[in-house]
Amino acid sequence: MSKVIVVTSGKGGVGKTTSSAAFSAGLAARGHKTAVIDFDVGLRNLDLIMGVERRVIYDFVNVINGEATLKQALIKDKRVDNLYILPASQTRDKDALTKEGVESIINELKADGFDYIVCDSPAGIEKGAFMALYFADEAIVVTNPEVSSVRDSDRILGILQSRSKVAEDGGSVKEHLLITRYSPDRVEGGDMLGMDDIVEILSIPLIGVIPESGSVLQASNSGNPVIMDKESTAGQAYEDVVSRFLGEDIPLRFVDVEQKKKGFFQKIFG
Amino acid sequence: MSMLNVLHLEHSDVSAIAAELQKKRDEMPQFFMQSPVVVDCNPLGEDVNSFDFLALKESLLSLGFIPVGVRNNPPALNKSLAEAGWAVMRESRKPFNDGQTEAAATETNDNDSTVDTANLPTNSTIETSNSVENSDQHLEAQVAPPASNNVKSLTVDKPVRSGQQIYAAESDMTVLAQTSAGSEIMADGSIHVYGALRGRVLAGAMGNESARIFCQSLQAELIAIAGRYQLLDESDTNLIGKPAMIKLLGEKLIIEPLSA
Repeated sequence: MSKVIVVTSGKGGVGKTTSSAAFSAGLAARGHKTAVIDFDVGLRNLDLIMGVERRVIYDFVNVINGEATLKQALIKDKRVDNLYILPASQTRDKDALTKEGVESIINELKADGFDYIVCDSPAGIEKGAFMALYFADEAIVVTNPEVSSVRDSDRILGILQSRSKVAEDGGSVKEHLLITRYSPDRVEGGDMLGMDDIVEILSIPLIGVIPESGSVLQASNSGNPVIMDKESTAGQAYEDVVSRFLGEDIPLRFVDVEQKKKGFFQKIFG
Repeated sequence: MSMLNVLHLEHSDVSAIAAELQKKRDEMPQFFMQSPVVVDCNPLGEDVNSFDFLALKESLLSLGFIPVGVRNNPPALNKSLAEAGWAVMRESRKPFNDGQTEAAATETNDNDSTVDTANLPTNSTIETSNSVENSDQHLEAQVAPPASNNVKSLTVDKPVRSGQQIYAAESDMTVLAQTSAGSEIMADGSIHVYGALRGRVLAGAMGNESARIFCQSLQAELIAIAGRYQLLDESDTNLIGKPAMIKLLGEKLIIEPLSA
């Protein structure tokens, strides 16, 4: 059974595309056939972060319009087996997305034996975001530890549970909270919301906390999903997210100031 | 102040009415946003028979009002009003008539719907009445109490998220999950919230002054009963985050601890 997972947030710039890239690469690296679709038609970021921008020939909208087949448009990742990227079009806008078109692509991916179909949502609550979440079975809601991001995530959760196909059919989309750009020092200092507060406000299960890390920007710029950087805290945290998604019960890392300090002293004395 | 507005129709030019409403709304957009409107046909007289209620409803909706119902219409129009999606606010005997001649006047006019001068605005064509004295007592007199075999209640078992609005018409509401900041729950009866109450909460939306609000964790942005509202931040209560009950005493919202 293939699963459709939307990575969404409402607010822009919180790390949806970074998380989509890392999460799908992580799933694929563990042997699951995974496709990641860029729904940000008109802007196109996913292919850059995945480092395949120079291999884009056909895109999502071409396939919807029947100008190319899905096989022609899917880009196979060269680093990770089982990972395929469906890039967005830069020359079109989000009106090019139709429910029927998106549905037929998702059905074709399912028929092709993909285990996971990851939909990278654009920011906002307009058509692109709506299309990305409409067919989702599960949702990863990406939130930064600040009030406006949390509020927007709350809004998108409402849309998810009232307007998605699963909701329309009387079910509910499985929700996962992913907190990104988390900085325990700044939480301690009181200028950032703590993860407990965010979980309390949104009251959905936490799937992971990604620490603020310079390696994320570096990874994006070099076109390598940060999960491939096994040294970085962010990369390791994304590995944990994939493990938890696949059902493992593992403790959170990189969320306490103490823990970080201990690591530091251990490095010096151990 | 009441959240319920009464629109008195004095002429049948829907586009002119819409234009005037838009002007009024633009003066206080926050206040009128999504506010319920009851339309009073009385001033129209005979013109009511040719009035385009469907067009009025669409105008109201497009201006962001919530058209609730029509009152003082000739009974002959009940069917076409229902088809246009309007509730007909039936006349009913006021439960206690504390010297209100107005209620009696409405009663006698029930059958022939001729001009009722008891409460006509004199100088403005369209009156959006926000005063408690005006609209609420009107409603008390005119909203029929639900029949005992028709008691409704609305149960919400999912969180009410930011941006969502839920309205329980002629009914109590029970929310089993939390309501988020930026959400709005409204009921004509009482409201019970078993998760954290963080959004706006409006009980007795149609003027029921005995409606109450009950919650397990009071963190609401705004509380209102029968149109009297208060920002929680401006309240001096020490029950923030605690189980609480809110009721209306005279004109004042009283927040009390909720404990067995």
